[in-house]
Amino acid sequence: MAFAEIVQILMVWTPFLLEGFVWNILISLVAMTIGTVIGAVLARMRLSERRMVAGVSLTLTELTRNIPTFVFLFYLAFLIPVEFEFAGRLYLFPAWFKASLALSVAVVGFVSDNLSVAWRHWRNHDRLAALLFVPNWTTYLLIIVMASSTASVIGVGEIVSRCNVVIAAVGSDEAMLWIYMYAICYFFLLCFPLNWAMGRVKQRLLAHVHRAAV
Amino acid sequence: MMVNRPWLRMVCVGVLLALALGQEALASRLDLIQKRGTLIVGIKSDYPPFGMLNAEGQLVGFEADLAADLARRLGVQLQLVAVTSTNRLQKLEEGSVDVVIATLGDTPQRRQIATLIEPSYYASGAAIIAPPNAHLSNWSDLRGKKVCATQGAYFNRAMTQRFLLDLQIFNGTRDTKLALRDGRCAAWLYDDTGIVGLLSDPEWGSYESPLPSMMVSPWAMAIAAQERGSPLERTLSDIVADWHRSGWLMNVEKRWGIKPSQFLADTHNLWTRTGSDGNPVCTRQANGDWPAACRNKLLLSSTDVTGLYHFGLLLKERAGLDLTILYDVYDRDLFLAGLWMTLQLMLGSIVGSLLVGCLGALVAESLPWLRGLVRLTSALGRMTPPLLLIYLVFFGVGHIMVSHYGWTFDGAMIAVSCLSLYTGCAIVFTLLEATAVLKHQEPGFTLSWRRLPRVLRLAYAAVVASLINVVKATGMASAIAVPELISASTAIVAEQGNPAVMMNVLMLIYFLLVMLVMQIFNAIERRMIRHGVR
Repeated sequence: MAFAEIVQILMVWTPFLLEGFVWNILISLVAMTIGTVIGAVLARMRLSERRMVAGVSLTLTELTRNIPTFVFLFYLAFLIPVEFEFAGRLYLFPAWFKASLALSVAVVGFVSDNLSVAWRHWRNHDRLAALLFVPNWTTYLLIIVMASSTASVIGVGEIVSRCNVVIAAVGSDEAMLWIYMYAICYFFLLCFPLNWAMGRVKQRLLAHVHRAAV
Repeated sequence: MMVNRPWLRMVCVGVLLALALGQEALASRLDLIQKRGTLIVGIKSDYPPFGMLNAEGQLVGFEADLAADLARRLGVQLQLVAVTSTNRLQKLEEGSVDVVIATLGDTPQRRQIATLIEPSYYASGAAIIAPPNAHLSNWSDLRGKKVCATQGAYFNRAMTQRFLLDLQIFNGTRDTKLALRDGRCAAWLYDDTGIVGLLSDPEWGSYESPLPSMMVSPWAMAIAAQERGSPLERTLSDIVADWHRSGWLMNVEKRWGIKPSQFLADTHNLWTRTGSDGNPVCTRQANGDWPAACRNKLLLSSTDVTGLYHFGLLLKERAGLDLTILYDVYDRDLFLAGLWMTLQLMLGSIVGSLLVGCLGALVAESLPWLRGLVRLTSALGRMTPPLLLIYLVFFGVGHIMVSHYGWTFDGAMIAVSCLSLYTGCAIVFTLLEATAVLKHQEPGFTLSWRRLPRVLRLAYAAVVASLINVVKATGMASAIAVPELISASTAIVAEQGNPAVMMNVLMLIYFLLVMLVMQIFNAIERRMIRHGVR
């Protein structure tokens, strides 16, 4: 297959694939939101004076660490019904939201660990050290964006499953390699600059913290 | 109280006599057929090619041939009567037909109102019709895809649940046909015996039915409810058994141009199999029943079987827990094989990740001119979603390897390699950071093969966290059909329809495996501390 032909195929399907990637980001943001809210509650509980409360939080955090996200994805896909009835009306439970829920479990553990540390720094008026939470959180978001590609296995129309749609539509086995590589580029384009920027932010914050300590 | 009034006594005797005579009449339906010299069989007239009207207005088809053979074996004439799905059992009850052979699925509810003959003579299931080149090789290829279906099919709901289909339900077959034609769905979920009729239509010639039938429902001949245990039931049952043993049913199937059904092939194998004592497995037991292995699995109850099977079915009947992996030999083997594969994947990924991580760090530290390249490669490796990498290697690179060099790779190997690469890249960074710390502490420290353990010790917690993550991610191998735990579990759900049980078992086992791996790493760390390894 000629190079020009492959470029042509990729160009034609770019809007379709790009829309899929927007889904990846959306799924990840929803997962981060849910995970951060629950994780924050757990982090707050860990700092509690009452040993019982802190213990419960630690156990729950430990639990989320042991749950494999990929298996949990299947668990939710099979066990949450497609539609549910609430107050006499039927609502859909979309597959992408199941993916967000599954991914959010990992976020809960991460936020519970990192935010409780940040909280302690904040209480000790170590504001800059507490701010380290922000670049860490953003780096974790990127990990979740990459993990969101697994939503394709339960049929969510994100970028990876759209790649498979394109491959079926193009009907050429040779195009497969290029289409998957092209999809990988999207992840690079998002992750590389953000990762680099967050690394810089982290370094500068750490430098400030060390200077303050000295 | 004594009965001393003569007329009352007469009535009593009369009733008893009538009952006895009635019993006599009922028990001899077979005699009745022979005396009459005609067997009356109800078949369908609107279900080609199983039961239909030919140009002369006669009832013909697969089921008409079965009826003809019944009559031949009983040595009587045959009279065919057209019946429909709604009146077939009613006609049996009123006695206007002797036998019904009319695409009747065997279910516990129907067994209440008629006597259904075991073994079943045929089976239908859910299959799909798809446009040409739909690239479907597996039911899981349809996950999340729009699939058209016709309202009222018994399998719609269950198939949606088992294969996570996005089902679009239409009112009649005509509407569904149009929707498939217009490309509004990837495939049409339909009865496989209906598909046989449809594909024989030249208009649908290019369409195909690429997937094996699921949720197979066996078809049984029916006779009246009161004929249970009668000579007629036994005779018919023996005839059907003989059909299976001789393979005659497969000939009839071929005669009508029906795609060979897996059910007939499997049943033929079962009924011709001999046990260790040299006798056929499927012979009548002392009580006259067929052995459990030769009966319809879905309709067995705990009283029909013994041992673990009995316990499993009892649990299903009492508590609704269908743990087929406990009592069904096939499911159990499938699940255990999946567990073994998952353990191999986990171990392979741990070893592979450590190898990639250590080698990467060693190369970066000992060959300064390669340092930049290693760092860049590791950064790229960390930013490639592992699932996408698995697809890229398995399908993209795999295709090139096969078409150019004729090499094929094992899916499990590819999954382990890709997961190891992804995790290994993260470990490279961890080890380089730890090396930097050691360099800061001891000027002149350089990373070498012998000093690697010290670096690993310093980075232990972070490395273990990466390894735990890769252990959790091994399920991704199921995306390229590696037969590990998730693949095994979804296959069992597809066959048995027990998602609640299987998903909980799967989750629990994975949870325990992850915990086990964590405990092993913790134990190693405790040992190191005890032995003063710092």
